[in-house]
Amino acid sequence: MVTQPITRRDFLGATAAAGAGLLLTSCSPDSGRPAAPVKSANSKLNIALIGCGAQGQVLLDSLTVIDGLNLVAIVDIWDYNRNSNVRRLKSQGLDVKGYENYEELLANEKDLQAVVVATPDFWHAPITVACLKAGLHVYCEKMMSNTIDGARAMVQAMRETGKLLQIGHQRRSNPRYVFALNKLVREAQICGRITAAQAQWNRTVTPDLGAPKHSELPPEKLAKYGFKDMHQFRNWRWFKGLGGGPLSDLGAHQIDIFNWWFGTTAKSVMASGGNDYYKGHEWYDNAMVVYEFDTPEGTARAFYQVQTTTSAGGGYFEMFMGDEGTIKMSEKPSICALYREDRSTKSWEELVGKNYLRASATAPVADADKVDVRETAPLLQYDIPVSFNKKIHQPHLENFFDSVRGKAKLNCPADEAFRSEYIIHKANEAIAAQKMIPITKEEVEA
Amino acid sequence: MNNIHIFNHTAMATQFQVRLAGEEKDYAAQAAQAAFALTDELESKLSRFRANSEISEIAQLTAGGMLRLTEPVFACLELAKRMEAATAGAFSVCAAALQTQAARPAWSLENFSVRCDGGKLEFDLGAIGKGFALDRMAAVLREWSCPAFLLVAGGSSILAGEAPDKTAGWSCGLGDDNAPQRYWLKNCSLSGSGLAIKGKHILDPRTGKPAARQNRAWALCDTAGESDALSTACMVLAEAEIHRILAVEKSWLVFLEENENARPLGGRALPVRV
Repeated sequence: MVTQPITRRDFLGATAAAGAGLLLTSCSPDSGRPAAPVKSANSKLNIALIGCGAQGQVLLDSLTVIDGLNLVAIVDIWDYNRNSNVRRLKSQGLDVKGYENYEELLANEKDLQAVVVATPDFWHAPITVACLKAGLHVYCEKMMSNTIDGARAMVQAMRETGKLLQIGHQRRSNPRYVFALNKLVREAQICGRITAAQAQWNRTVTPDLGAPKHSELPPEKLAKYGFKDMHQFRNWRWFKGLGGGPLSDLGAHQIDIFNWWFGTTAKSVMASGGNDYYKGHEWYDNAMVVYEFDTPEGTARAFYQVQTTTSAGGGYFEMFMGDEGTIKMSEKPSICALYREDRSTKSWEELVGKNYLRASATAPVADADKVDVRETAPLLQYDIPVSFNKKIHQPHLENFFDSVRGKAKLNCPADEAFRSEYIIHKANEAIAAQKMIPITKEEVEA
Repeated sequence: MNNIHIFNHTAMATQFQVRLAGEEKDYAAQAAQAAFALTDELESKLSRFRANSEISEIAQLTAGGMLRLTEPVFACLELAKRMEAATAGAFSVCAAALQTQAARPAWSLENFSVRCDGGKLEFDLGAIGKGFALDRMAAVLREWSCPAFLLVAGGSSILAGEAPDKTAGWSCGLGDDNAPQRYWLKNCSLSGSGLAIKGKHILDPRTGKPAARQNRAWALCDTAGESDALSTACMVLAEAEIHRILAVEKSWLVFLEENENARPLGGRALPVRV
């Protein structure tokens, strides 16, 4: 268990010493903020969840099983969601209160240490800033905001208050991603020089969400919280001014991986996309984006596509392609893959020996002056020797709560996340402008 | 004919179907979508083939280890425990574990957690998870004020809600397509197990070996979780054992295949014949 804040160098040393197969739930990037103190590093943290929609439910699954948390309250403007969740949590033995909005929460719950925010995007900035200013640490789902200014305000509030603000790019705490980046890509350099990357998230056609009869919010309440009607409330992701469309809903996670793995931010973006399939939506239902990155080895380009009309193309993944090999990552381990170029001179068998890779069979001993003849051997397959059975958001939340306790550093603090946030907004801008948009190093800093 | 809308969705390696009667089509589609979304969520928690499911996490427990569970996983395992006890061990989520372990792993539930009491908890919810999902889908549809529904999981488990307007229920047959034996079902569940599709795939949890006391068995219960598990248990139970179980569980009805007909066992009144 990690008991002290660690740097990436410490982490690498620890994993190298302990060997592969190690499960770590925490790894701090160099840019991690110092953790803020709480009453006691081992005391229960009083927390609340703001927003109990689809993503809030996913986070609740982890929040109810992570040790050391006291879920005090949940917040949702939709009484149907709020009441059903309070009932369900009470049936699990959790004495949880329900509030309609974050202001009620802050007015009534004076003993909170942290909140988790999973509301529609356009509420992230005001809620996060208010909670930080109220002295709370905040875990906020991505996108940080539906606007660059909103995201920047969040970073500024984090700096002004000295409180922690973790953004929900949960792959940054996924032990498989952390291991693959640090051990395989950076240390073993199995890809060689990475010249290109490709990522996608393709989903089948999904009808618009509805609401049960008699559960609809009255028009005045919808208006109070910024929604035109119930359809817009239930399908806010598709509307400008509320969300950022599929590029931000789905692409945000993966475009963040581009920045994280390349270790830098894109220097330009060009993109094409449109609202070509669905009726009554405002945001693009498909997009194809090309980013350019300046890496120490030279220029690399990254292609990203999101489709909401077909699940074809192999689901969702991020792939980094180099002149010696390729690594394909996904939250679904079955999609992950490793390829070695014939020209690679790196010994993957040696990496198997170091537990950096797992092979489908024992590799033949490479003895230059001998050969044995038998049946055709199956082609060796390699994979990442790190298993991970927790819920996919759990390590990232644990990293946040460990940081609140002063036991770790954030894996995705808001200033780091802002750089990804910025280039995602720029991709939507590039579609609208139908031209390449340069991005400077200065403008991606909040 | 009633205005019945049919929606399909693949989950849990099978085809789920929602049939809704008496609803406007767009509203019915949204209600079905909400029910299917729940099925996907349950699969992500209950599947032993998903690395990040709670069932995979449970499989990592060592003796004495505990894991706090989410509400649906705890509820499903509670039901599994109850069905194991009610069927004298003929149903068990550990049946498949006997292929890799000498003895059935031991486990218990307490305080919304599962405890490993011995062995490796390689749970397989294949004989209860789909039924459990149907029960949860039904709850969603009732929340959506869609009481007249028929839910189908892979053709082997159905859960009927209220009858379509002006009918006595949903017409259900026992056996092959357009089976001659048909009943009007409402507010109950019917599940079937047999050797026709997957061969002798049903393991007797008491021995760890494939068992085929019956060629086909059906169970009719109030909930689909119960009927799914019970029909599986009946495949490895002798008829005398089934009688003993049904003497206690008065709300259950079992049909055993005999000369291509389904012979009922148990005290529960037979549904109305079509």
